[in-house]
Amino acid sequence: MVPPEYYLLLSAAVFCIGLFGVLTRKNALYFLMSVELMLNAANINLIAFSLFWGNMTGQTFALFVIALAAAEVAIGIGIILVLYRNFGTVSVTDATTMRW
Amino acid sequence: MIIEALIAFTFAAALLVFAVPNKYAGKVAFGLSLVPVIGSLYMWSLFESGGNALTGGDIAFETIIPWVEIAGIQVQWFVGVDGISLPLVVLTTFLTSLAIVSAWTPIKERQSQFYGLMLFMEANLLGVFMALDFFLWFIFWEAVLVPMYFLIGVWGGPRRKYAAIKFFVYTNVASLVMFIGFMALVFGLNVETFGLPEITQALANDQLGTWFGIAPDTLKLIAFLALFVGFAVKVPVVPVHTWLPDAHVEAPTPVSVMLAGVLLKMGTYALLRFNFTMLPEQASLLAVPIAIIAVVSVIYGAMLALAQTDLKRIVAYSSVSSMGYVILGLIAFTEFGVGGATFQMVAHGLISGLMFMSVGVIYNATHTRIVSDMSGLADRMPVAVGILIAGAFAYMGLPLMAGFAGEFFIFAGSFGSTFLPYAPIFTALAMFGIVIVAGYLLLAMQKTLFGEYRLETDYEVTAAPLHDVAPMAVLLLAIIALGVAPWVFLDMIFDAVAPILANGGGL
Amino acid sequence: MVAAFDFVPAIVLLPFVSFLIALFAGKYMPKGGALAGIAATAGSLLLSIWVAISLLGVSGERIHQETIYTWATGIGDQPWELTFGVLIDPLSALMLIIVTLIATLVHVFSLGYMNDEGETGLPRYYAGLGLFTASMLGFVVADNLLMAFMFFELVGLCSFLLIGFWFRRDGPPSAAKKAFLVTRFGDYFFLIGVVAVFATFGTAQFAGPESFPVLAEQAVAGDTSVVNTTFGLEPTQWFTIVGLLVLGGVVGKSAQFPLHTWLPDAMQGPTPVSALIHAATMVAAGVYLVARMYGFYAVSPTALAIIAFIGGFTALFAATMGVVKREIKQVLAYSTISQYGYMMLALGAGSYVAATFHLMTHAFFKALLFLGAGAVIIAMHHNENMWDMGGLKDKMPVTYATFLAGSLALAGIFPFSGFWSKDEILYEAFIYGLNDPLLLGGWVMGLLAVPITAFYTFRMVFLTFHGEPRSETARNPHGFGWNVKGPLSVLGVLAVVAGFINMVPVQKLTGIELDFLTQYLDSGGEGLTYSGYNALLAEYGGYEAGVVGTEVTTLLIAAGLSLGLAVTGLLVAFKLYNVPEPVEHTAKLGQVKDVLYNNYYQDEFQVWIAHRTQSVAAVADKFDQGVIDGVVNGVSSVSLFGGRRMRKLQTGLVTNYAALLTLGLTALLLAFGLLGGWFV
Repeated sequence: MVPPEYYLLLSAAVFCIGLFGVLTRKNALYFLMSVELMLNAANINLIAFSLFWGNMTGQTFALFVIALAAAEVAIGIGIILVLYRNFGTVSVTDATTMRW
Repeated sequence: MIIEALIAFTFAAALLVFAVPNKYAGKVAFGLSLVPVIGSLYMWSLFESGGNALTGGDIAFETIIPWVEIAGIQVQWFVGVDGISLPLVVLTTFLTSLAIVSAWTPIKERQSQFYGLMLFMEANLLGVFMALDFFLWFIFWEAVLVPMYFLIGVWGGPRRKYAAIKFFVYTNVASLVMFIGFMALVFGLNVETFGLPEITQALANDQLGTWFGIAPDTLKLIAFLALFVGFAVKVPVVPVHTWLPDAHVEAPTPVSVMLAGVLLKMGTYALLRFNFTMLPEQASLLAVPIAIIAVVSVIYGAMLALAQTDLKRIVAYSSVSSMGYVILGLIAFTEFGVGGATFQMVAHGLISGLMFMSVGVIYNATHTRIVSDMSGLADRMPVAVGILIAGAFAYMGLPLMAGFAGEFFIFAGSFGSTFLPYAPIFTALAMFGIVIVAGYLLLAMQKTLFGEYRLETDYEVTAAPLHDVAPMAVLLLAIIALGVAPWVFLDMIFDAVAPILANGGGL
Repeated sequence: MVAAFDFVPAIVLLPFVSFLIALFAGKYMPKGGALAGIAATAGSLLLSIWVAISLLGVSGERIHQETIYTWATGIGDQPWELTFGVLIDPLSALMLIIVTLIATLVHVFSLGYMNDEGETGLPRYYAGLGLFTASMLGFVVADNLLMAFMFFELVGLCSFLLIGFWFRRDGPPSAAKKAFLVTRFGDYFFLIGVVAVFATFGTAQFAGPESFPVLAEQAVAGDTSVVNTTFGLEPTQWFTIVGLLVLGGVVGKSAQFPLHTWLPDAMQGPTPVSALIHAATMVAAGVYLVARMYGFYAVSPTALAIIAFIGGFTALFAATMGVVKREIKQVLAYSTISQYGYMMLALGAGSYVAATFHLMTHAFFKALLFLGAGAVIIAMHHNENMWDMGGLKDKMPVTYATFLAGSLALAGIFPFSGFWSKDEILYEAFIYGLNDPLLLGGWVMGLLAVPITAFYTFRMVFLTFHGEPRSETARNPHGFGWNVKGPLSVLGVLAVVAGFINMVPVQKLTGIELDFLTQYLDSGGEGLTYSGYNALLAEYGGYEAGVVGTEVTTLLIAAGLSLGLAVTGLLVAFKLYNVPEPVEHTAKLGQVKDVLYNNYYQDEFQVWIAHRTQSVAAVADKFDQGVIDGVVNGVSSVSLFGGRRMRKLQTGLVTNYAALLTLGLTALLLAFGLLGGWFV
């Protein structure tokens, strides 16, 4: 059996890649992908621990997260489309009309 | 059950009016508002005076239903009236109906929402005057602010947002101070419920223990100060009065009527119920500073009114002045002082309501409230001006009108007070307000109503319509009736006041 | 049995009903409600006469007191009872007749002055008259100080409304405001006095064993348990203070120095109103009030001395101003102030009867003079300047004859009514003044005012009626009917004969019993009689009559002095003004004339005070808006400023939030690590 440390390392790596994307990119589509990566990092953790403890709750939760991610992508892309229509760009820094 | 019916009906009426088309909202709201009037009159007819609700006297129309428990203390639906609250309940229902009629002319848009909010406010005001559980009372107390905020902020004048926010934040911060102070008292008391009678009697029996290392007397003093600050803003007294003129100037006429007529009385009512009924010893300790505040409010408020050029500001500052009398009556802590103060709450509610309505009628006709812009209005609108003059004289304390009765009782009660040191001097100083009030009202009347008619408008200024004048006439009749027969309220007020005085050490 | 006293409330209510009728139905009625007013006041007059006669028929104490309505009651063992009641004794019965009689005549006269002159707003006018009459009568019958105060204020309201009757002009509303405000200033002290009386005695009844004058006497006599004085003062000191406080209202209403300035301005009102309110009745309210509670003043000699001094001073002071006035009503106004000064002097000198007597004769002759002036004003097409008149005596003989009678009475010429009453005042002030310098000062000033009074009165008569007409209207005066002549004739007769009811000097000289008024006023209830007051004064006030030689010589000296001076004044006026083309001799006075014509700059002084008050108010407003509201707005700006800075954190960029989150987490982990020793 693969020890849990490997899973955790993988998960942390994936999460950091996602975080890096969020911190450095301005394109909203990249954001969406990065968030997806971070969610999947969490999924890896959930399933790894589920396996480790022999408890099904973790896997159930992972399924939930997948459903949630799907919904999030659907809404997110919708928002990005509207953003593009209104501002002619998908850069997150340009949409500032409601700021302050 | 009648209290529940009254409050529930008014809430339901508010909801109903929200749904009525704008065109009919005013008439429907007036019709519905008559039901609480009849209800309160019915309560009055059934009412049998039997002491003070808080100090263990009879509580008329009492209902107690346990509600929730907070920190081991039971919150109840606990309502009832006594001789102090009943006159104010009658005042509230009566004035709301008339204010609704006076709104028919000035309110031209979003009528259903306007009248709905008026009724919503009425329901909460009734709750404030009838709730006997602190939590319940506090909910109503705070809920009054919400409709008032919208009524000023939506239908007000040019600076309505400023005025509405100032009103809301100012009074809300004050409520917070008051709430904290009272909570400290309650947690130190080790009572089982938030019922005001229980708390009052526990305080009277010296059940207050130390709380977080604070000695009972200090705790009481802190609570007294916190409560006083909280209520003083609402009254308002100098120096926490500045929200009032702004709110009045921006508020539409009917809202001003409610604000001056009923909302200010919440402050004095609460002062009487909490500070003076529950903590008379602390009141005695602070008698001189409070009397100074009262006298300063009277004189300074009147002087400010003298300096104003806007009719509404004049009446608004004169409210500060009149409320000073009420504080003086309370701190005198004699039968006629406290009873007169309670009577003056009702009297001032009617008179200031009439004054604001009169100013509103003038504004409807001339579209200005600036004194120097007007002259000779008596020529064009004789009936309305006649009632306005009568109302102004009532404000000046003309005998056989309600204002004189209230003021005289207060002065008579405070002059010989043994509770307040230097009472005759404070009384004499405060009484000088009756000269200044005559000064500024007569001056304003001379400039606006008399002389040659010189107003230049692109339309004809004509007599006010009947539905503007009728509520004024009704108010005037009520003012005269109360001035001729003050005993209709005074007897029950005295009945409810006497136990408080005994509570304060038989003064 | 139907007793007259059962109808006392009706005396008050009848004019009140006429007020309601005139107010609500006046415009549908002929003469704008005047007839209702005439009927009501005439009815009140008849009832008053009946009451007064019934009082004569009462054997023993002539007093009727009844509580009619309880306004408010306290609770407890000895509650305060604030009540309305009637007190009928010779004093109030006399006053009732005076008020109702003059009110009736003024109503009739108004038909000529208002209706026939085509005034508008008549229902308002007659409503005002009705309300005034009702309030004044309510004041007269009041059996306690609170009720008296309430009606005292109501007559002030009516005065305001009637002075400002011609509200479309600029002058009358301003005068009305001034009248109300100045009297209000006096009433402020009065109200403190009322409150103090309640706080001190627990009652404000005028008569009866539990009344405050009786309690005051007990307290002064040593039984201090019945009163609560303030500040640990002796009863006498405290009663003096209370008495002076009540006096504030008296000084305001009876137009005494320094609160007299409103009365000349009040002449802006219709002339019948001036006759009724500002000459005969309302102005008398102050004097009547002192007379009503005389038992209370009798125990505080200091207050009485001050009353006497104010009275004497006002008598002289106002008379000097009357000398230079051009308008006929202005002369009469200052003369009114001056005459009420005499009444105050009488009250201060302990001569309650003389004051009441002069109050009555003055009511008749001054109402007569005002109505006569009204007739002249009608004739002159509402021009009031005497320098435009002249030679009117041939064109209006009735007015002239009656006006002359009134003038002789005012000047105090034997045997007209004013002579008897004024002479009695000066005599009493003299004999008591011999033992009291303050009183003597009052007497000297009162005496000095006598020739001046005669002078200005006849200056007015000669300028108005004698000589050649000095304007076109004076050559062709406007005519008037019976409704003007009738009241003038009635009052003219009274001005001649009213003095005969109390010819005390004649009685003292001849021994024939002629002091009917004195006897009548001495027949009231216990503690309310002339002799009762005299006893009090002698006991607590140290009042003692002095004599020069014998009583008769004293009497002759006093009477001779005042009559001689009056005749002198008359003759001077005759010499200077009874010529075809009179000139303004007063102009020779130079600067003195300016000072007098400008009323010693008293009005300017009060206007100055009013303006200063407004400046203070303006400063207070600046302070309020700047400092107090400034603090409020300052607090709000601080929090707004803080919020504005804080919200910059909220950039709206997820990148920034994520960075902050990450940094925060790292910092947290580092902190935990360092504290938890992970890195050791």
